[in-house]
Amino acid sequence: MSESHEQHINIGEGAGVNPEQPHGTAAIWKTFWILFALTIIDIALYFMLSPTGIRNGLFIILGIVKAYYIVGVFMHMKYERVNLIMTIILPILFVLGLIMGCLYEAHYWDGIGINID
Amino acid sequence: MSTETTALKKTKSIWAGGFSPFNVSYGKLMMWIFLLSDAFTFSSLLVAYGTIRFSHPSPPHGQVVIEGQIIKPLGHVPDNFVELLGETKNAEGVAYFSKQHWPSPELVFNHFPGIHGLHLPLFFVSLMTFILIFSSVTMVLAVEAGHRMDQNSVRKYMFYTILGGLAFLSCQAWEWTQFITEGASLHGNPFGPTAFAALFFIVTGFHGFHVFSGVVLNFIIYLNAINGTYAKRGHYEMIEKVGLYWHFVDLVWVFVFTFFYLI
Repeated sequence: MSESHEQHINIGEGAGVNPEQPHGTAAIWKTFWILFALTIIDIALYFMLSPTGIRNGLFIILGIVKAYYIVGVFMHMKYERVNLIMTIILPILFVLGLIMGCLYEAHYWDGIGINID
Repeated sequence: MSTETTALKKTKSIWAGGFSPFNVSYGKLMMWIFLLSDAFTFSSLLVAYGTIRFSHPSPPHGQVVIEGQIIKPLGHVPDNFVELLGETKNAEGVAYFSKQHWPSPELVFNHFPGIHGLHLPLFFVSLMTFILIFSSVTMVLAVEAGHRMDQNSVRKYMFYTILGGLAFLSCQAWEWTQFITEGASLHGNPFGPTAFAALFFIVTGFHGFHVFSGVVLNFIIYLNAINGTYAKRGHYEMIEKVGLYWHFVDLVWVFVFTFFYLI
């Protein structure tokens, strides 16, 4: 019986680990150092740049890069089937719509002098 | 045999039954779906924060000057810092802490346990971030040890993960105590708009409750690992499922850190 066939029929708990997944702890520590460095960059940017939309944009980009490493490597999402990845990632796009709508509204409130408090 | 597998793939849709279309077990798939719904909950809280934050003007730019002295990182801060910043105005005539604009996080969160009278902007919250990232690493090392069926390593790394979670919760308790001592609550905030303090308590409180739940779950699977439950079962998948939850808590903190303390 071939390896791939065995993979498909084993659906219970403890189903085989994806063979593409790297073994050992090297990838884990590499990801840790990446996350550590990105957080240090965050803090450095906070003190080096003045508070502007560009700085906020950099923070959000760094946040998304950190999310990629946490979800992709620590949560093994990178090694899952594409249909699982899409099931989880695509609905998150709804949040982008919420963010855009709410930020637009917030700037409007600020413009007409309403502070939500 | 491999030709038979190919034939099977051609004739049967992956949804026809017999194997998991997602190639994960039921429990793991359900954990992913739960995390997606939890991600929506946290997104709503953070978007509410962003909406209220940007309905206020941004904090005043530039150096903070109190009584002719520039406040610098690692520099001295007076005891009545919060009241002084409520009265002291910058070059444009705006007080540093005012109901009219959002406070600058580096001026609010500038304390460190055991160090008094120094301006340490964001030092403590950065430490909290590193603690949580590190406990995520020990969790993923426990998962990796589980794949090797190495019970001793699973026990060791689960223990470190629990310690990291408890350390983070202790830090948060200290941060809340500090903030409350300075006069912040759900209905009052000496640093500026009341909503700033209320949102701080609601969002970090909701996240802290997730960390607490994670520590409880970690403790249960730690006990199971010690008792050899997973060794008898033949796999350590429960570590992976709880691990997914634990990494999600870390992921949420990345965004809480970004939106509350940096932006």
